[in-house]
Amino acid sequence: MDWRADIRAIGSLMKREMGILAGDRMYWFMMLVAPVFCFLFFMDLLDEGLPSRLPVAVVDRDNTTTSRSLVRSLNSFAQVEVAMRTADFREAREALQKGEVYGIFYIPPHFRRDASTGEEPTLSFYTNDTYFLAASLLYKDMRLLGSLASGSVRQTLLLAKGEGGPTLTAKLMPIALDTHPLGNPWLSYSIYLANFLLPAFLCMFVMLTTAYSFIQELKRRTAGGWLSEGNGSVIVALTGKYLAQGLVFVVMGTLCLSLLYGYGRFPMNSGFFPMFLAMVLMVAASQGFALFVSGLVSRGRIVLSACALWCVLSFSICGFTYPVRSMPWLAEWASNLFLMRHYFLIYIDQALNGIGMAYSWQNYAALLVFALLPLMVLRRLRKNLEGNRYLP
Amino acid sequence: MRFLEDIYFVFRREFYLVFRDHGVLTFFVLLTLVYPLLYAYIYSNEIAEEVPVAVVDESHSALGREFVRNWDATASVRVVARCGEMEEAKELMRKKEVYGVLWIPGEFSRQVARGEQAHVSLYCDMGALLNYKALLAAATDVSLQMGKEIQAEGLEYATDITEAIATQPVKVRDVKMFNPQGGYTSFLIPAVLILVIQQSLLLGVGMVAGTERDRRRNGRSSPAGGHFAFPLRVVLGKACAYLPVYFVMGYWVFFIVPRIFNMTQVGGRAELMLFLFPFLLASVFLAIAVSFLSREREVPFLIFVFTSVPLMFISGISWPKSAIPGYLLWLGKLFPSTFGIDGFVKINNAGATLSEVLPEYAGLWILAAVYLCLACFLYYREMRMTKIEKKRVK
Repeated sequence: MDWRADIRAIGSLMKREMGILAGDRMYWFMMLVAPVFCFLFFMDLLDEGLPSRLPVAVVDRDNTTTSRSLVRSLNSFAQVEVAMRTADFREAREALQKGEVYGIFYIPPHFRRDASTGEEPTLSFYTNDTYFLAASLLYKDMRLLGSLASGSVRQTLLLAKGEGGPTLTAKLMPIALDTHPLGNPWLSYSIYLANFLLPAFLCMFVMLTTAYSFIQELKRRTAGGWLSEGNGSVIVALTGKYLAQGLVFVVMGTLCLSLLYGYGRFPMNSGFFPMFLAMVLMVAASQGFALFVSGLVSRGRIVLSACALWCVLSFSICGFTYPVRSMPWLAEWASNLFLMRHYFLIYIDQALNGIGMAYSWQNYAALLVFALLPLMVLRRLRKNLEGNRYLP
Repeated sequence: MRFLEDIYFVFRREFYLVFRDHGVLTFFVLLTLVYPLLYAYIYSNEIAEEVPVAVVDESHSALGREFVRNWDATASVRVVARCGEMEEAKELMRKKEVYGVLWIPGEFSRQVARGEQAHVSLYCDMGALLNYKALLAAATDVSLQMGKEIQAEGLEYATDITEAIATQPVKVRDVKMFNPQGGYTSFLIPAVLILVIQQSLLLGVGMVAGTERDRRRNGRSSPAGGHFAFPLRVVLGKACAYLPVYFVMGYWVFFIVPRIFNMTQVGGRAELMLFLFPFLLASVFLAIAVSFLSREREVPFLIFVFTSVPLMFISGISWPKSAIPGYLLWLGKLFPSTFGIDGFVKINNAGATLSEVLPEYAGLWILAAVYLCLACFLYYREMRMTKIEKKRVK
């Protein structure tokens, strides 16, 4: 085997592929327009980090200076905006059902009197938990406000008894909890979303483009020419074609990384190289997976369906919002079959936590395995190409 | 009479096309059948429980041990390792064996005994926000509870009532509405259900049109002339073929799946059906209209699959509406799924009545009308283009 001829063949195949890509609107859409749209869409949507100024309703049945100051401090939280003040709970409840507000803060009648005479009034807050993120953010703030209210009454009582001084904080709160959210001290939600969503979209487009371009060779009856240009070797033919596509996608991947860590300034504690390596491997793994499926099944639509299903499922099974550990065991196990899961774990280790690359070698290796999967179905791929079998 | 005849003819032909093509049936039946089950299964545990953590207790005191014991006893935490020093615990965290570390400093119990404020520190791996939330909530509860006991001990000669007043003069009660366990399924799945219906229609109808175009030389999506001479009749005929399939699948998706997985279902059934009818109509007409984008059988995959995720985000379910830029909200209004998710969640989960979701309901009807007109126009244009071409050939 003359390896120089093979390299030359790969070169000419890459040129051929670039011609195909440039001449078809569909590829422009899949490789440039759609990824860029998705990148910009989510960068714009998520640029605030945490949603701020979530509307809530306040039902103030007490209407004293105390209750009004409570409402004022509620309004001063960054994530809360008192969008509605009313004395009628029913009105607030209807606004909650209509989705105009995400929560209701209820101050009972005679709140000030009861609090100062030891009647233990109850502050209630209601959150609409069908909006999960909004509700949990509000829950946090309203709960904090509840304990602040309690604390301020106690502080007044203690001061009145003459118990001020350095032990006052200890009297109010004997045990304080300090939290250290490592790697994400801002508790920013978009860190999770953006860093997974952008690469996941890229993965989806790589897979679909790979499968689609393979089917197109069969459908347009050009598979024979492709194979012969690759010196009759499937490996050379595949390498030439998909190296060219891979290069384009790696450029898109670099754009994605620079949007995330350059423009978006998301934390990258590992330096550029580990994430770039992960991105390159992710592109290769997506191509590998799509070719593997193309070899397993010969019907074009089943290949595309399988790739599409895999990509869409990876948005939930990779655990970027809901931890994989909390899934049923079968889903927990199956998550390893999704290559974005491995990319996500690398991201957590490298960019977010900045620990050594040795800790994520298994995930890098897993991506490499995905990239090499087509080697298992080379014979089937060759048969499909030689027979030029297009099955719809 | 001729009008109904044409519609019936188109309907029969389309029905035949749908049921003979396994690819289309995969979308219309298999996808809508299996996908909701898959999703509901993934999220069926709803919340993060028994998150493994490590403890570094440098105080070696009864009080420190009590804190750890109480924390371990909560549903969200499982202490799997007790480490002598912080570095050991950090290494466990890097190996993903624990997701959080609780550090109790050496002077913890001494500070409490002296009447000073004592501190404990919680370090969390931020790989999953839900784990952090669970650990934090549990630790806060424990520290408040133990704090209260310490306060009560400090009050000598106090009666139960004065103790209660001194430790907690104001009670706080929180009510999670419409999703009492605060779970993930009840929040995410309703949106998924609506999207499954719309996206499977887009893919299926796109595939029918793409296959037709593959078969014909002239790239048209339906035969010319005869019963296919009038755009409105073609569109209505096609819609009549898809709708019955989706009445059946819709019942499965919107009524049976939520029951299987015990999700919140507080809305009236008749009300829900009334609301979902224009949603189905709008989705069908949208699918027919955008099927003009699909020039080949394989194209629907490439152009429709990825739209599900952005649509999910601009519907206001996973990301609060108040944080979405205005122009994206307007973009969202072009899709039936946005109104559909909003209204479905309000009726099904929050028990709203039809009059309370009037804006969404009206929006769906308007979308249905707009897309019906658009689909008719596109057929009209296609027909005229072929006529012009024919003349040129002659």
